[in-house]
Amino acid sequence: MAELNELQIELVSAYIRQHGVASDDLHDDLLDHVCTSIERLMDGGSSFEEAFAKTIKLFGPGGLKQVQQQTFELLTEMNVTMKKAAFSFGLTSTFLLLAGTIFKLLHLQGASVMLVLGAGILALIYLPMLLWHKLKESSRDEYLLHISGFFGLAFTTVGVLFKIMHWPGASVMLLSGIFVLAIAYVPIYFIKKYRTSANKSITLSSALVAMTCLILVFGMMSFNNSVYFDRGLSLVYHELESAATKINGNEALYSKLGATEESQELKAEANRAFQMVEGLKIKLISETEGISISEAGNVQLHLLEKKDNFNIPSHILFASESEFSAQALLKTLSDFEANILEHYDPGIRSEMEQMMPFDFEEEYEWNDQKVDWAHWHFYNTPLSGVLSQLSKIQYDIRNAETQVLLYLLSQPVVSGPPSGSGG
Amino acid sequence: MYSNELIKGTLKTIVLNLLTKQGKMYGYEITQHVKEATDGKIQLTEGALYPLLHRLEADGLLTTEKVSIGKRVRKYYKLTKNGAETSTDLVKEFKEFSNTMNRLLESYTVNPSFHG
Repeated sequence: MAELNELQIELVSAYIRQHGVASDDLHDDLLDHVCTSIERLMDGGSSFEEAFAKTIKLFGPGGLKQVQQQTFELLTEMNVTMKKAAFSFGLTSTFLLLAGTIFKLLHLQGASVMLVLGAGILALIYLPMLLWHKLKESSRDEYLLHISGFFGLAFTTVGVLFKIMHWPGASVMLLSGIFVLAIAYVPIYFIKKYRTSANKSITLSSALVAMTCLILVFGMMSFNNSVYFDRGLSLVYHELESAATKINGNEALYSKLGATEESQELKAEANRAFQMVEGLKIKLISETEGISISEAGNVQLHLLEKKDNFNIPSHILFASESEFSAQALLKTLSDFEANILEHYDPGIRSEMEQMMPFDFEEEYEWNDQKVDWAHWHFYNTPLSGVLSQLSKIQYDIRNAETQVLLYLLSQPVVSGPPSGSGG
Repeated sequence: MYSNELIKGTLKTIVLNLLTKQGKMYGYEITQHVKEATDGKIQLTEGALYPLLHRLEADGLLTTEKVSIGKRVRKYYKLTKNGAETSTDLVKEFKEFSNTMNRLLESYTVNPSFHG
């Protein structure tokens, strides 16, 4: 029985390595296989060279490398359980996202839960599984492609979710996701495609189309329409605020009226209500924006970054019993209203009450539900809306004060001496 | 020689069953054994056999034993406990499949009226 010598074995080994078999394990297998085959053929009378050539021929051209390729593919193939899991996660998240979107469009209950679950499964389970699988089966020079694709998609998905849910940080995530896709994934993908494709001009043009789409999305995000919407609300707010704070006419009326006990009382009542609302506004800005109270007192609405946030304002107003709750605001305002009405002659009080700007008792309808005054105005209202309404209330307070002052001035009996009003 | 399509689906069964009967074998031995036992009608190519052996090892159905033959290493493959069970299942399944196929193919020749 023939046996190959050391040199011949070295020769075969080098040949196998040279033809693309890098895995040691497989190299050992193939070396033994080829050597044994050569030995058997030599037993039959062939020379080493003939036997070697004949054995290699059985593998076919590129055959050795193919063995490695197929081994690699078989070893990295997802096993059945993983395949099933990946499939069901993918299906579930797609279903949830679709249903969530439809529910959201129809304003049905449960849309948010579905969207959060769907995007969560997609970004935290499905995409990582996909990435893991891709990394396992691809060579090192494709790592960047898959990793950039993963992060781009994951960030974009979570960013869209945050945007829909009005959670903080949405824009940053969306922008970085799209940025990664545009800077890394799409270029790498198309460079690879370009190198291997037969029709280079088509590949090039589709790359350009993809880039243009991404740039358009990018552009739409940075100049979105809500900038103008925000500006509109900011203007309303500032108009109301200046109207509320710059009513100096009241001071003139006070001096005309003289420093009576009643006028002092009225001034104190109005100021108390006004300051309460002012404090609430500052508190809301400070908490939502994450800045100190003193900073919040000076900031202008159009400079606020989170003026579209409604979670934090609603939380402050409705989740607690503090001095900054909607309940406390309601109490202050109704006390103020009651006090104001005291200044009028009992005979006309009910008429004056009709003229007061606050309708605390009224019921409002929102999404087929009856809601009270506080919820109607402030619940899930974005910060800019809440602040504008509070400024409107401050304006109303000053206005009501003016009304009383004018009334008091028209009643000379009240402040003048008991006699001598002959005329 | 049978078509690759036919052999592909039965390769795992062939290898596992062979190892059940022979205990431990190395790659070249397996190809030769199959070739001789089938009068050359089934020839396992290296390109199909080694990937399969490595996959079965990764799945825990086979283990290997390395023996030095002069300057090279020979790897013997043998069944694990799990592999032995899988082998039995696969052979049983294939026999049933084969019977079913026979019956199916027979039925067409016995009842030509089905065609009309």
